[in-house]
Amino acid sequence: MIISILRAAKFSLQDIARNVWLSIVTVLILVLAFFSVNLLLSVQVISQAAIDTVRDKIDVSLYLKTDAPESEILALRAAISGIENVREVIYVSKQEALEDFQTRHKNNPDILEALRELDSNPLSPSLIIRPNDVNRYDGLIAELNRISNPIIESRNFDDHKLMLEKINMITERVNQAGFAVSLLFIFITLLVLYNTLRVAIYTHRSEIAIMRLVGASDWFIRAPFIISSLLYTLIGVVISGTVFYLFLNLLQPYLEAFFLNYDFNIIHYFQSNFAQFFILEFAAAAAINIIASLVAVRKYSNI
Amino acid sequence: MITLENVSKTYPPNIKALDRVSLSIKAGEFVSLVGQSGTGKTTFVRCLIGEEKPKEGKIKIGDWDITKIGKREIPYLRRQVAVIFQDFKLLPKKTLYENVAFALEVAGKSNAKIKSIVPQVMKIVGLGAKMHRYPNEVSGGEQQRAAIARALVYQPKVLLADEPTGNLDSINAQEIIDLLKKINEFGTTVILVTHNRDIVNRLKRRVITLHDGRVISDQAVGKYVL
Ligand SMILES: Nc1ncnc2c1ncn2[C@@H]1O[C@H](COP(=O)(O)OP(=O)(O)O)[C@@H](O)[C@H]1O
Ligand SMILES: [Mg+2]
Repeated sequence: MIISILRAAKFSLQDIARNVWLSIVTVLILVLAFFSVNLLLSVQVISQAAIDTVRDKIDVSLYLKTDAPESEILALRAAISGIENVREVIYVSKQEALEDFQTRHKNNPDILEALRELDSNPLSPSLIIRPNDVNRYDGLIAELNRISNPIIESRNFDDHKLMLEKINMITERVNQAGFAVSLLFIFITLLVLYNTLRVAIYTHRSEIAIMRLVGASDWFIRAPFIISSLLYTLIGVVISGTVFYLFLNLLQPYLEAFFLNYDFNIIHYFQSNFAQFFILEFAAAAAINIIASLVAVRKYSNI
Repeated sequence: MITLENVSKTYPPNIKALDRVSLSIKAGEFVSLVGQSGTGKTTFVRCLIGEEKPKEGKIKIGDWDITKIGKREIPYLRRQVAVIFQDFKLLPKKTLYENVAFALEVAGKSNAKIKSIVPQVMKIVGLGAKMHRYPNEVSGGEQQRAAIARALVYQPKVLLADEPTGNLDSINAQEIIDLLKKINEFGTTVILVTHNRDIVNRLKRRVITLHDGRVISDQAVGKYVL
């Protein structure tokens, strides 16, 4: 048994080496297929991240009176945190608002000068409320409107609704398009893989018949093909993974510029999900390979 | 040794390749099977190696009824009943040595055994010096010798040769026939399928003639009659 496996491995390696062009083309096609799949996944991840970034920026601000005591602000904050659909309530104190203002206008000396001339901090503290589910934004606004507390100075519920609708529409389109493109890509990839294998096996059809002729069992005929397929797939996944990683490194600066201030790193994402990518792609391609080998051996077994 | 009883084989739609063939061949015989093309000679060979199942009749090799043979038993049958063809059927990406060794490797024979048997057989067929060449680097006659070497590694009881000289010039053909005679002298039953009149007439052995799937003549020391 062990000697059989070793021999099957030997035949497989011999075959790869002696049909070196066919082997290179097979691996190349696998690499392209995996690369496309990786690219597609990344586009989805990036577009989802883009949407999340925008959604995340949707918030409601409650501006409070400048002299509102800290304790009451914190009490209000606690009350609002208790409202359903509130993800977080960020308390921006007077001081923080000032610092924020200063950094935002750090390139504008006139404004900073005007600010410095004032004795006291003119800015008001605020509570920034972020919803859990942006789709139920209306209900949240209604709840917030119901709160009557003397420390509230104004409520800035700009017309986020229109923007939200737009985002939702974009999200839906991106998802639909992504789904369609994914299906198309996967279909093409499967087709390309299947055809590559057919060509690889077709070139071996006379050999399959000869192996049978000299009394090789079905298992012994199939094993070298399966080992070769697994090797091709493994090499394909490793090369496409490496190339893709380098590609992401090139892409990351542009993404960083795009996702300004938002913590999004596609490379980290890729790194933390790499094992899954790797295993899934390997398993899927290996399954196709094995099925194709099994079918082909049956088909070309006659002398 | 080999007995056929009323063997018939029909291909779809309704081609009678073999029609109630009955004959028997004793161990150690050298039999020529002749006939025009399309008269069922290859079908006869394929039935004997278990590649085709006859529609009717019985084929026995020794006590073994190979019309009832299962797929798993075929590798064992191939070691008893070896076969060579007109087109050699060597693996093009393996050297002659590797082609011969392959037949032993698939059966799980040990490396030590393979290393001792293969060069010996290569020498018997006269390929000692060229065994590490690839098939496309040697002549047709030498390829056929390699195919014969591969057929011999299990010391089969029967060697079937289906027009083994069909692709060879007359000198190479005669050398292959001489090699088959030598193998026969070592005790292997040889069944030679051919339609080469000269070869058959020079052999002066038993000749069975097929026509339209039927045995029309069977002579102990035969001549090519068609
Ligand atoms: N696989 C097949 N399917 C259908 N007909 C076949 C097949 N193999 C052979 N035949 C037919 O059976 C007859 C005998 O063929 P074959 O045994 O190859 O003849 P020979 O070897 O004597 O030339 C021929 O008429 C041939 O066309
Ligand atoms: Mg024929």
